[in-house]
Amino acid sequence: MPTIAVDAMGGDHAPDEVVKGVAQVSLATDIECLLVGDERRIQENLEGVSYNPEHIAILHCRDAIGMGENPHEAMRRRDASLLVGTRAVAEGRADALVSAGNTGACILACAKHFPLIRGIRRAALASVYPRHVEYEGQDRFALLLDVGATVRCEAEELVHFAIMGAGYARRISKVTSPRVALLNMGSEETKGGETLVEAHRRLRALAGIHFVGNVEGNDLVRGRADVIVCEGLVGNIALKLIEGVSEVFIDLASVAAERRLSWRLGLRLLARGIERLRELTDYAQYGGSPILGFERLCIKCHGRSTAQAIANAVKVAAKAVRDRVPSEIAAAVAALG
Amino acid sequence: MRFGGGGRRARSAGPASPLVCRWDLDKTYLRSEFTTLRQLLRTALERPDQKVDVPGVAELIRALKAAAASRGQTALVYFVSASPPQIGKAIRAKLALDGVPYDGIVFKNQLEQLRRGKFRYLREHVGFKLVELLRGHLAVPAETRELCFGDDWESDSLIYSLYADVLAGRLAPASLTTILTRVRVDPLLVSQVIALATQVPRRDAVERIFINLDRRTPPATFRLFGPRVVPTFNYFQTAAVLAVMGRLRLEDVGRVGTVLVERSGYTARRLENSLDDLVRRGHLSLPAAERLAAPLRASGLLSPLPSPRSRWRRALGRLGRWRRPARPRTRSATEPGPLDYDAILARVHPGARHVAASGGTP
Repeated sequence: MPTIAVDAMGGDHAPDEVVKGVAQVSLATDIECLLVGDERRIQENLEGVSYNPEHIAILHCRDAIGMGENPHEAMRRRDASLLVGTRAVAEGRADALVSAGNTGACILACAKHFPLIRGIRRAALASVYPRHVEYEGQDRFALLLDVGATVRCEAEELVHFAIMGAGYARRISKVTSPRVALLNMGSEETKGGETLVEAHRRLRALAGIHFVGNVEGNDLVRGRADVIVCEGLVGNIALKLIEGVSEVFIDLASVAAERRLSWRLGLRLLARGIERLRELTDYAQYGGSPILGFERLCIKCHGRSTAQAIANAVKVAAKAVRDRVPSEIAAAVAALG
Repeated sequence: MRFGGGGRRARSAGPASPLVCRWDLDKTYLRSEFTTLRQLLRTALERPDQKVDVPGVAELIRALKAAAASRGQTALVYFVSASPPQIGKAIRAKLALDGVPYDGIVFKNQLEQLRRGKFRYLREHVGFKLVELLRGHLAVPAETRELCFGDDWESDSLIYSLYADVLAGRLAPASLTTILTRVRVDPLLVSQVIALATQVPRRDAVERIFINLDRRTPPATFRLFGPRVVPTFNYFQTAAVLAVMGRLRLEDVGRVGTVLVERSGYTARRLENSLDDLVRRGHLSLPAAERLAAPLRASGLLSPLPSPRSRWRRALGRLGRWRRPARPRTRSATEPGPLDYDAILARVHPGARHVAASGGTP
């Protein structure tokens, strides 16, 4: 069974929700969890919930990186839970890392301690997000990368992101031939400027990747592609927009329900549909976002992660380790020549 | 080989004091399933060879007897079960199959309750078990030391704690009556308990109460019961605490661990994590755990020590643990304070009517 290091002190609700999530995993699976953080606080939380100690070890450290801290400055704090956890993975004490902490610090910590896969120039933060399902049995989530590990990229790096995303989708979502698309401002291959045009040309010529061309913003949630590739700046904005719209929709429905009886009745009729939408857009359902491109794996969870989200992230991390996602990516990159 | 760090309790017991181990049966010894009527019927009709014991329990009981014998002591094993006597034959055959030596077994006569038309007492075991425990204690020499083993399904921690406090003279009859009334014990049994409680010699005889966390009840739930109650997640943990108390030999702990590895799919890491958990919960001191772990590591039962850098971090964590103020539950189990039965009942029996029920000296 894989061992997953979990940054117990990272996230808005740490360590309580993180510890609860790990406790859930310890009861339901054989995954070994290594909780990294303040042992006393972790243990206090652990003893208040049902757990199985046989699957939980604690790696004590005193420090923790705050959610609002400057990631570069945070890298100096060697005894912070995130850095200790990353080192534990790098040294082979655990197979992957899960953290709901500071995203920038998480990416820098991985970059500091995990070697990049041979041939990969930059790592990418990939995000699983809900999309419309076009046919029965289609995975209801798509993968968008990069969503924040980079700001601007070169064409070659976008090609690497496509390879990494396809590898992850093949192993984790079990899509045999994932459809890969490039996020652009138009579907024509000449759109988007020099970098995107070049990336389009290279991806089209690439064997082993099912490239379906450019997609626009309105295609993101339509299910036209399983993996969508973009620069970090664009991906981050797109992802936050999807999250924001769904949150506003739910909020509006709640407010409307309070205002008028007729609206309340109407919403009551739509209740199952709204609940379905809430489930679909609930980040807790899909755990976290993998940081791809390193020889070791890190799943970055939402800062607001609940116990359920952490538990799902740990399961995803274990699955990625078992299915050897980094090896799959390395093999695909090596095949590029 | 005896474990070097025997607790004060074990030493104060004296070499000749007999040891009595009181065991619950279902969920403590046997993995009985009776949450549904179908499971209940199946359990009742199971053949001895179909009954499944909790991993390591048979080895632990054998080891308790053998360790006592090696010290020239006697360890007596008694089972007190709320199951009906009709399944006694199958249970006795199961114990024989497992090679578990025992000195007595008591079942609850449910038919008697049915005959009296007292259906609501069918599922109430506090009174029945207290009567049997106190009767059992009257039948053994006064200097006997006791260990109690139960689980987290019903009220074992409450029953054994009441029993221990009655023996120690920490519960006045009036307080005991109030508590038993509050948990709706059959009035007939309340009077029997009180009568027996006045007869038993006053001696702090119960060393530890082990609760098998079969339901994975959060361990914090048991803090109210004080350090005498030790909730454990597996019998390797129980064996480790018993070894540190001087009640088991080191090789016995190894044997229980080996059984878990060979028959139940445990790994060295799972055992190591179990040991660490006991230390973090304050049931084992760090030096005692280290002394216990070293030979187990050498024999390959526990994982070898991690890399030097990780070892340094572990040491740092442990140093931090030492510097922290001791948590209340780490206090010596040999000096238990009075239990707050009001708080315990509010937690264990939230439906019970409130009556002042704090412990008090007679």
